[in-house]
Amino acid sequence: MNVASRLPNSPAALGRPLQSDKPPFLGFGLGLRAQHYDEILSGNPPIDWFEVISENYMLPGGQPLRVLDRICERYPVVMHGVSLSIASTAPPNFEYLQGLKDLAVRVEPKWISDHLCWTGVHGKNLHDLLPIPYTNEALDHVVSRVQLVQDFLGRAIVLENVSTYVQFNNSEMTEWEFLAELSRRSGCWLLFDINNVYVSAFNHGYDPMTFLNGIPADRVVQFHMAGHSHMGTHIIDTHDHPVCEDVWDLYVAAIKRFGRVSTMIERDANIPPLDELLVEVNRTREIAEKVLAQLDKNLGKQAR
Amino acid sequence: MSDFARQQADFQRGILTGDDTVLTEILDSPREKRETLYGVYRYAYGSRLVEALRNDHALLHSYLGDEAFDEMGHAYVKARPSEHPNLRWFSQGLPEFLRSAEPYCNHPVLADLAALEKALNDAFDAAEGPVLELTAMASFAPEQWNDLKFQPHLSATRLDLSTNASAVWLALKNDETPPDAAKLEEPARILVWRQDTTPMFRELAPEEAMMWDEAASGIPFGVLCEMLATYDDPDGAAARGAGYLHGWITSGNLTAVST
Repeated sequence: MNVASRLPNSPAALGRPLQSDKPPFLGFGLGLRAQHYDEILSGNPPIDWFEVISENYMLPGGQPLRVLDRICERYPVVMHGVSLSIASTAPPNFEYLQGLKDLAVRVEPKWISDHLCWTGVHGKNLHDLLPIPYTNEALDHVVSRVQLVQDFLGRAIVLENVSTYVQFNNSEMTEWEFLAELSRRSGCWLLFDINNVYVSAFNHGYDPMTFLNGIPADRVVQFHMAGHSHMGTHIIDTHDHPVCEDVWDLYVAAIKRFGRVSTMIERDANIPPLDELLVEVNRTREIAEKVLAQLDKNLGKQAR
Repeated sequence: MSDFARQQADFQRGILTGDDTVLTEILDSPREKRETLYGVYRYAYGSRLVEALRNDHALLHSYLGDEAFDEMGHAYVKARPSEHPNLRWFSQGLPEFLRSAEPYCNHPVLADLAALEKALNDAFDAAEGPVLELTAMASFAPEQWNDLKFQPHLSATRLDLSTNASAVWLALKNDETPPDAAKLEEPARILVWRQDTTPMFRELAPEEAMMWDEAASGIPFGVLCEMLATYDDPDGAAARGAGYLHGWITSGNLTAVST
């Protein structure tokens, strides 16, 4: 496949990161799930914005896309994918990228995100967010792949830290060093999944605050909040439980470091009624307002 | 191959085949051995894909029960690894798998039930298209009717079932005990389509199915009526053809008519 011919005179071809305005603050949102379609469309619940799973709407037609159109008329929407496979060493999948781009034309999302991971090689797709070694070789590869995707989509993308269960013995840097450098070199923004930081920190035995403090504050444009399953010796990122208190505590720390960031509750399985999730959405809002007010107050004192 | 690419290939092979080569490059955690931690990915792979099959084939799942469905699902996952980035399409090969793989091929109702569910799933998110209205037919003069050609709606598909899978489907859908699986003497000719947002199916009489299949391949109405005349009473062929056509239009099965 002739990649260069698809990206004439692109910043990536010229070795520069794609420059893009920082995405706007959207407030406090929720992941859109089919179980809540009717309730959302009939009730206009007080949610600032929705994140939609891109692949759920990369379809020919029918009810999902019709619902999405109606949601987009009422709420700001962000597209969040699970199959970009940005860190895969397989050739780029331009058919997938074109589908993503076509959906973005329809949705006009505030931004497009996916994960720092890979999902398969050699023509196979494992439909999982698989880990990478934090090596310079991997970093060079992912930077070039992000640049290619950004040029194809014509916008900077947003990448999320995933929960990981293993670490590779050939890693040459930490995950946060990798993310910081990836963002700096490629121009991509970061989606900071607070639950994933908590999960990975527990699984690998480091302090989540070290991760948090290693991420450049000005590159984070979104928080994910979610639940997990604790197995005793390790945590599995199931996204099927309410957010736990430890993750709420880490959320407070994240607001103190990153400031006002678009935040959402992400539930992927064991989906409860919308009201239950609205309680969590409201909590993200209340905590942020309280912490930010305190920060403003402290800054005011310092200014005096 | 770069070291990164080789490592990804090893990691993937470990998940797909159980090969442990990649474990030499993975660290134990402070609390757990690498085999267990890597095992999270191995377990998640199979369970996630089987869960996708459960979602796409809820009635086949109901028919087989948890244990038998999951056993079948894992066999499918092993035989047909996903090659599409969108999980939506993973189950597309299930009817063909059930039709060809032991022991499932010995129970053809399974492949038929899966084929019916697949057709309904495909109709659910098929491409949008206009729905032909009866009023559109009024614009054609009687002498034009012989030349009319019909275009099926993009959601419409036909399938032939060799078993009573449609009766099994209906019973399961209504939470009733399904009838015993039975091979049919003549295949059931099923038309599947989407009405607004709801996938539908109905069984066609052999004559109507013949006319649908020929119409879908572009045969004009006059020739269709000649074909109907060879099926049954020749004098009533045009009326029967018009009756089938009326049913297709009022059900939303067609998207366009042209001369």
